[in-house]
Amino acid sequence: MTTFVAVEINFYVLLVIKILAVTGVMLGGLLPVILGELKIGAHMQSRVGPYYAGGRWGWAQPMADGLKFFQKEDLVPAASDTQVYKIAPYLLMVSTLALFVIIPFSPDLIAVDLDLGIFFALAISSLSTLGVLMAGWSSGNKYSLIGGLRAAAQIIAYELPLVLAVIGVVIQAGTLSMVGIVEAQIEMGVPFLIGGQVVGFVIFFIASLAELNRTPFDLPLAESELVMGYLTEYSGFRFAVFFLAEYAGIVAVSAIASTLFLGGYGFWGLDPTVFGPFVLAAKVGILAFLMIWIRWSWPRMREDQLQTLAWKWLIPISLVNIMVTAIFKVVF
Amino acid sequence: MRSGISVTTNPPDEPESAVDAGDSRSEVAELAARVAELVGSESWSADFGNAKVRVDRSQWFEAVEAARDGADLAFFSFLSAIDWSNDVAVGEPLDETVEERYEILVRLSSGRNNDSVTLSTDVPKNDARIPTLVDLFGGANWHEREAAEMFGIEFEGHPNLNRLYLTDEFEGHPLRKTYPLVSREIKPWPGMVDVEDMPSTENPEAEQAGSSEDEASNQQPAASSEVEAGSGERAAGSGSPEGDAQ
Amino acid sequence: MSQTLDPRAAAHVSEVAVSVELQTPGMTINIGPQHPSTHGVLRLVAELDGERIVNVEPVIGYMHRGYEKLSEVRTYPQITALVNRIDWVSGFANEIPLIVAVERLMEIEVPERAQSIRLILTELARISNHLVFLSSYPLELGASTPLMHALREREHVLELIEGVTGGRFHPNFNRIGGVKPAAGGGSTQKKVLQDLPKGFLAETRLAMEKVMAICDDLDSLVTGNEIFHARTKGVAIVPPDLALAYGVSGPNLRASGVAFDLRKHEDYLPYDKYDFDVAIGENGDCFDRFDVRLQEVRQAARIIGQAIDDIPSGPLQAKVPRVIKVPKGETYVRAENPKGEMGYYIVSEGGRIPYRLKIRTPSFSNLSILPWALKGLLVPDIIALLGSLDFVLGDVDR
Repeated sequence: MTTFVAVEINFYVLLVIKILAVTGVMLGGLLPVILGELKIGAHMQSRVGPYYAGGRWGWAQPMADGLKFFQKEDLVPAASDTQVYKIAPYLLMVSTLALFVIIPFSPDLIAVDLDLGIFFALAISSLSTLGVLMAGWSSGNKYSLIGGLRAAAQIIAYELPLVLAVIGVVIQAGTLSMVGIVEAQIEMGVPFLIGGQVVGFVIFFIASLAELNRTPFDLPLAESELVMGYLTEYSGFRFAVFFLAEYAGIVAVSAIASTLFLGGYGFWGLDPTVFGPFVLAAKVGILAFLMIWIRWSWPRMREDQLQTLAWKWLIPISLVNIMVTAIFKVVF
Repeated sequence: MRSGISVTTNPPDEPESAVDAGDSRSEVAELAARVAELVGSESWSADFGNAKVRVDRSQWFEAVEAARDGADLAFFSFLSAIDWSNDVAVGEPLDETVEERYEILVRLSSGRNNDSVTLSTDVPKNDARIPTLVDLFGGANWHEREAAEMFGIEFEGHPNLNRLYLTDEFEGHPLRKTYPLVSREIKPWPGMVDVEDMPSTENPEAEQAGSSEDEASNQQPAASSEVEAGSGERAAGSGSPEGDAQ
Repeated sequence: MSQTLDPRAAAHVSEVAVSVELQTPGMTINIGPQHPSTHGVLRLVAELDGERIVNVEPVIGYMHRGYEKLSEVRTYPQITALVNRIDWVSGFANEIPLIVAVERLMEIEVPERAQSIRLILTELARISNHLVFLSSYPLELGASTPLMHALREREHVLELIEGVTGGRFHPNFNRIGGVKPAAGGGSTQKKVLQDLPKGFLAETRLAMEKVMAICDDLDSLVTGNEIFHARTKGVAIVPPDLALAYGVSGPNLRASGVAFDLRKHEDYLPYDKYDFDVAIGENGDCFDRFDVRLQEVRQAARIIGQAIDDIPSGPLQAKVPRVIKVPKGETYVRAENPKGEMGYYIVSEGGRIPYRLKIRTPSFSNLSILPWALKGLLVPDIIALLGSLDFVLGDVDR
């Protein structure tokens, strides 16, 4: 994507190419994570997991699952708010997809290097709540409604520590641009995780688990209480879209966390223009593994405990983190 | 041991005597007599290890209360009823004529030792009413609801005497002896004629030989002790394996 | 209204009025009969205020099979096949009190070897039951991994039960006066009694080691988990006096701090020959109910370890008449089932079939505490409490 090519190609053609690239990257990154969830979970539970689909390791299982979903009947409950019910999964999907736009895979390989990159990411990720809330409300099911409201309460609570944790990074890097943040880390020689933002990273990671409704914060789904929360009534293709959006969220959040705290595409001694995407993929893999590990190990929290954790612990700690970061920035 | 859980080697009252059947029988009789005195009843029995005290219907609530407080019978085991009926639609009819009545049973136990007493009272069929025990034992709530729908007994003062198991449309009181078991009316239970062959008269030596090798250690002393234990009636039985099966 | 108010609070009167107006009606939600956490077909009609429970009415009976009525047309040996299905998670233990009650009425002395085999199998059933609880309870709180690990080890226990009785869930193994000769004898079974399968003792020892190991695993995986503590400690406390008055029995009663175990108090099986402890809880909360059962698995393994070391030899069956006729009389025999006090009140009129058989099941009484215990809890606590009571709907509905 040199400037030479960009000038020659029509703006709209480039846009389409970028959209296709983003979707491709997302789907490409998604399938290994889904397979990882199946296989890692299985082995943690002394099972084998997917075995036959595709031959070795059952690698084609996510695709097979997807095909199965496509074949299923598209059920819309009679009591549902039909339009809203139908739109909800796509809204969630779009808001998750849009996150990939600002993730830098190398200094040049980025869909749009917004000056406000991280700000855009945080704003867009909040939109996913709307999808969940719409799904919960429109299903015409009390379990879905409780699930949707839980999701809303949860995201309001955890959006704050998420943003506050990022502010520490922004102060240290001196920019909101994603590429700028990575370059600042390369310049510094160590990623921000080591270079002063340990607390920020931990808070960001916990809060993003909550944003993604992953265990131990999977209350909106809470299978044993709310059947399947806001997903109770969804089936077939629409369920598959929710399912994909969940894993796309994992990849996107892991990629953002890698960019902000783990040095993004940069790695000591590796040329970012060549190895950048692979370095980032490896970091995303590590974070995704961590999320899967937690999912299969821990029970679920209760609504009041979840709120307590956010408001009484994460937010005060992240405020202190900002103060400390700011003082260091000014002093040194 | 983690905090929060303590392990007691033995509960406060170690019921050594419960082991000896002879002792426990007399203990049961003693308990029945004691409870009978507490509730002011003359009629008690202690057959087959079942301490049973009969009380009058008018004394029902007071008697259960007295037994609970006086004899430390705080554990509510169950409440149920028996339909004493000369007209039997299911099962075998009674040999002799009985007084038509419902007998209400409540089993109270101690939460500390093996004390356990059945209190029972009779209610006539044409006036099947009795005071509720819900105020004494919370657990009586569901048990009384069950007895009410199964026998058609009214528990006076019960807060919520609606159906427990049965649907609202259900007609009749299934555990009454006059209530037919319809499927059995159509087709008699085939198992009634089938009598199981009990393998009680087989040779014990053969049984031991057939068992596992890893019990060899058990088996050496076994062989000798068995002859002693198996004397008397066993010896007679092993003489003719098929004999007393008939 | 303002007259009763403190003058200092008078300024807030208008706000109070507003908040009263804004009160919205609560939501009534049907939990069950088909729901992932109701263990079958329990239905709870819960009135919610937000996520807080205002009132709850359990609806049972979806599985009522009328065993008490059915027993009135069956001979005593046939009833054992029925009672296996009451609490299918611990099928073997259901038979014991019925068989002992009939034997007591008929005044049969059961051979020691049969008693010992009964005891071993009862304790195996206890382990199997408790492992199901210990593994599914974390699942209800959101942790899915302990399930797989504990059920893997439970398989060894089920194989042992299957090896002796021929059945994994419904052994139907007890006979009046003793136990059935084990499966596997083939055509010679009638002639050569084979009571325990080959290698049973060694396999049992091995299985008990695995059970002990999985207990340690569960200890570190579940009881050591912070979130598990937060979800269960201090949740749904059942005070001891209330537990007694509701007839809550078994591990649920012991978790409330009442050291009452029928294995220590009654003489239905020769438990007095073996050394074991009764685990009791301190607070009566969900955590204690979990932990008491964890300790009980260890104690059961301890009892089995002692029992297989000295199985008395001798016959498997006492002499009983070919046709079982129970003399006239009434008795009640109760036993410490894995879920609590299970008892049978038999009224015999001297025939082949009982005149009346009252089945006292533990889960029925344990569950009857729900309307009281659930009030004021949060929706997730319903699941925490339901799971910790360890009930089976077959045991509730009979």
